[in-house]
Amino acid sequence: MSYREKIAWLSLIAMVATYGPYFKLVGRGPGSWEPLPHLHPLGLFALVSIVRMLILGIGYLYLRLGSPQEERPPLDERDRAIEHRSIHAAYYVLMTGMILVGCFMPFSSTGWAIVNAAIFWIVAAEAVHYTVVVASYRVQAF
Amino acid sequence: MMQGSISNRIRTLRFMNGEMSQAELGQRIGLTRQTIAAIEAGKYSPSLEAAFRIAQVFNVPLGEVFQWDAKTSPSKAP
Repeated sequence: MSYREKIAWLSLIAMVATYGPYFKLVGRGPGSWEPLPHLHPLGLFALVSIVRMLILGIGYLYLRLGSPQEERPPLDERDRAIEHRSIHAAYYVLMTGMILVGCFMPFSSTGWAIVNAAIFWIVAAEAVHYTVVVASYRVQAF
Repeated sequence: MMQGSISNRIRTLRFMNGEMSQAELGQRIGLTRQTIAAIEAGKYSPSLEAAFRIAQVFNVPLGEVFQWDAKTSPSKAP
């Protein structure tokens, strides 16, 4: 498995492991439906983001120390093609989500429901991005 | 549209050039070992520039490295 694939796996796992429970929690909690400014969900989001950063930081450090310089070559044309494809897919997810949140949700929801929906679509777009990267490397691997 | 697939002789050419490693070939043309492996396995089609570079490393024409295998589709009834 290449260094870039490992990084993509790390990013995907960190995202699922942190934002997964976050959305499960805010989806259940009555606080998420309260109008702004209700800062409890913000604190929860900050905590989750910090945990994600910690997982990513430790993971990057572990992978970097475990991979010699020659296993971490600069991006080549295949890496760039995979990156381009994954960003392209994520863009459509993000656009769809933002249209739903920005154009339709204001008529049916308020406060943190809208904020969390926006965060959800950003996270979903990022998850699609890393999933496409991982899948592309897997498909082209032996 | 014409159907077909690209095959290559990189593995053979590497063997004929002193069992050159994928990593060495990749290093000489600015690609990673994994990308060379993917090209060799037919799972990734390189850019034209990379294809020419590979041919240059082995000192052979491009056509000796990559071949286009056309698939003949059954002719449609009028």
